[in-house]
Amino acid sequence: MSSLLLHDNKVGDLIASVSNMTFPSDNAKTSVMGPLVPDAPATAIALRTTDSAAQTFMLTSSRRDAIPAVHVVAIKKRFRSVEALRGASFTLRSGERLALLGPNGAGKTTLIRCLAGRTKPDSGKIELHGKKLPPTGGRERMGLVPQDLAIYSDLTTRENMVAFARFHGLRGKTLKIQVDWALEWTGLGARQHELVGGFSGGMKRRVNLACGVMHQPGVLLLDEPTVGVDPQSRQRIFQMLDELHSLGTSILLTTHHLDEAEQRCDRIVIIDHGLVIADGTLAELVNSTIGASRHVKLRLDKRLASPLSPWHVGSEPAGDALETRVNDVAGQLPGLLEGVRVAGYEVLNVEVRAPSLHDVFLHLTGQELRD
Amino acid sequence: MIATVLLVSLRRLLHNRIELLLTFAVPIAFFSIFAVIFGGGIGAGGTPKIKVVAIDEVDSIQSRAMMASLHETAGLRFVGKGEDETGKFKTSKKSLTQAEAKDWVRRGTASIAILLRADKGQIAADLLSDTSDQVAPQIVSALVMKAMLSAQRPLGMPSVFTEASNPASDPEPSNPERWAVAQAGGLNATKTTLSPPSLVPPTVRIVDILGVGKANGVVSMYAAGIAVMFLLFGATGGGGALLEERENQTLDRLLTTGLTMDQLLLGKWFYLTALGVVQTTVMFAWGQLVFGIDLLGHVDGFLIMTLVTAGAAAAFGLLLATICRTRGQLNGLSVVVVLTMSALGGSMVPRYVMSQTLRDAGLWTFNAWALDGYDKVFWRDLPASDLWPQMSVLMVSGAVFMITARLLAIRWETE
Repeated sequence: MSSLLLHDNKVGDLIASVSNMTFPSDNAKTSVMGPLVPDAPATAIALRTTDSAAQTFMLTSSRRDAIPAVHVVAIKKRFRSVEALRGASFTLRSGERLALLGPNGAGKTTLIRCLAGRTKPDSGKIELHGKKLPPTGGRERMGLVPQDLAIYSDLTTRENMVAFARFHGLRGKTLKIQVDWALEWTGLGARQHELVGGFSGGMKRRVNLACGVMHQPGVLLLDEPTVGVDPQSRQRIFQMLDELHSLGTSILLTTHHLDEAEQRCDRIVIIDHGLVIADGTLAELVNSTIGASRHVKLRLDKRLASPLSPWHVGSEPAGDALETRVNDVAGQLPGLLEGVRVAGYEVLNVEVRAPSLHDVFLHLTGQELRD
Repeated sequence: MIATVLLVSLRRLLHNRIELLLTFAVPIAFFSIFAVIFGGGIGAGGTPKIKVVAIDEVDSIQSRAMMASLHETAGLRFVGKGEDETGKFKTSKKSLTQAEAKDWVRRGTASIAILLRADKGQIAADLLSDTSDQVAPQIVSALVMKAMLSAQRPLGMPSVFTEASNPASDPEPSNPERWAVAQAGGLNATKTTLSPPSLVPPTVRIVDILGVGKANGVVSMYAAGIAVMFLLFGATGGGGALLEERENQTLDRLLTTGLTMDQLLLGKWFYLTALGVVQTTVMFAWGQLVFGIDLLGHVDGFLIMTLVTAGAAAAFGLLLATICRTRGQLNGLSVVVVLTMSALGGSMVPRYVMSQTLRDAGLWTFNAWALDGYDKVFWRDLPASDLWPQMSVLMVSGAVFMITARLLAIRWETE
């Protein structure tokens, strides 16, 4: 959320926040690796550095860029009287990080389960890299990271990674390379022989994430991967996802942390009542819903006696605060402050807030509690 | 505060219907089972009948009278040659040879073979016994003694068996019949010879044809009983891992990999079977070291029985797991089912003390067949080829359990 608080009338210190971008390093020697899953479509070549397993990149072909990683068309699913999905459609582009948002009960989990082949849709179509998926199976190039810690807490880190790598079909030298890479990727190399059950929540989450990507999937489905972890662990997990994204993995992320979706994803899909109700970048969603105007809130030295025309938003003044929206902060804000001063008030504090995903989300899904 | 803790605990119990049911139903169920076994309740039908065969090598009027008397005895059930379909007496000298009778006892077809033979002009009885049943030889010994004394008793002499008697309080042989019965009641009696002042005493000898040369054969039966019960508990615990994987979404993740449900179930079955084999082997090895069970002398039969029993137990554990939705349900169900099967099947109480009805009911349990198999191996010294009924039942059971578990697991593949 890009908001800014200005204190003591220092209006001129507006600073825009820009989300950090990570780029793959281009140094070091490289060796060529084929696809990790034997029957996977040969659409990618992995180049792995010889000096650092973490610096691994995947070059994608132009064909892959053209074909969506996942294409979902009019998926429907009913559980007895509950219509969980009512024709949801969306596309995860190749190499994209897509956030799938929605209130509780909107259909996110059912959609993820349909994508993972764990729930059979009643109708509709799912394509993976341009090929129609059967209801179950055929998902070797897909990885799943469930919301729960779907790992063996009574195995060590390495044992978990080896087990899931084997379940994903890796064997021999490839398996060893991937396990070593995952240990370095998660930063758990030093604790590879410790039982996962004794780890902190953040460490378990990292192991949970690693076990879903041992086979370097083309598409990764993440169901709230940072639930219940501290900010530092969240930061680390998203660094890991950035690295994975830089390898060419397309990521579909469900989360209730809207800031994660806003800052860490390229595009956002909002689902509610089993239907996709919004789809686009944050800017597109903002423009198509609440508009790009900034929300300005002034705190005054005394209660407003009456609405301060033409600035005031709302029917009644709210105590000692004045809230309004401006389309041009630099051009309109000085006039607002001057108008307030002329009206006999002193401005104690100014808050300027850009429209956020939070605003868009509530605008689209409403304020009602979802149970 | 204490009242709040109490109320919270009570409300939690009331909200958990399965736990509530188990709290009250399990003790009642087990009380009922043991009451039926020991108390002669429903289906008990009084004292369990002892399966015997009889050979009359004397073939005199007196011996035939003895045999007829034995056939009238309610506590004995005559099996095999010499009896018609209803078990009525029509024995003849050539009806059964002594070797055949021994073989029948060895195979468990009969618990005891009663052999009437001539001994210095008198009739003597040899009881060719399977002493793994420690009760039957003593009862049959007393009954045979009664039949022999009745046949010898002059007319008008009262029968001791019509009176209340306490052999232990009758140290002097003033009443020769009563004293004879008391003598026959000794657990380790191998030969009972009476010398009452007025009668030539009959000889009743208990001949152990299975326990000879065995250091501690009966212990192997207890080892098998405990082993089978813990195989079942271990297998249901292992099946619980499947439910744990389902509850924490590991199953979801596993099934999105290259792993199929068939492979998952088979993998778990192989693991549980192997674990069961090792567990049982360790237990019997300990039995050999400490209690003298002859494991090394019966390796082939032991391995066969342990493999099929562990395999069937593993399949049963997976079946119970796939029936249940949660580990809590599995824990409750497995306690009830395993303990019931163990009680009826002979893991807790030897089946020979049960009524025939309960013995027949026990054959619907897994434990009874497994224990019969181990019994054949360690006690009866039968060759591995004789294990085919037990092997067949356990293997078919295991296959049926696995197929049913697989069918039940379909619902987990695409929920």
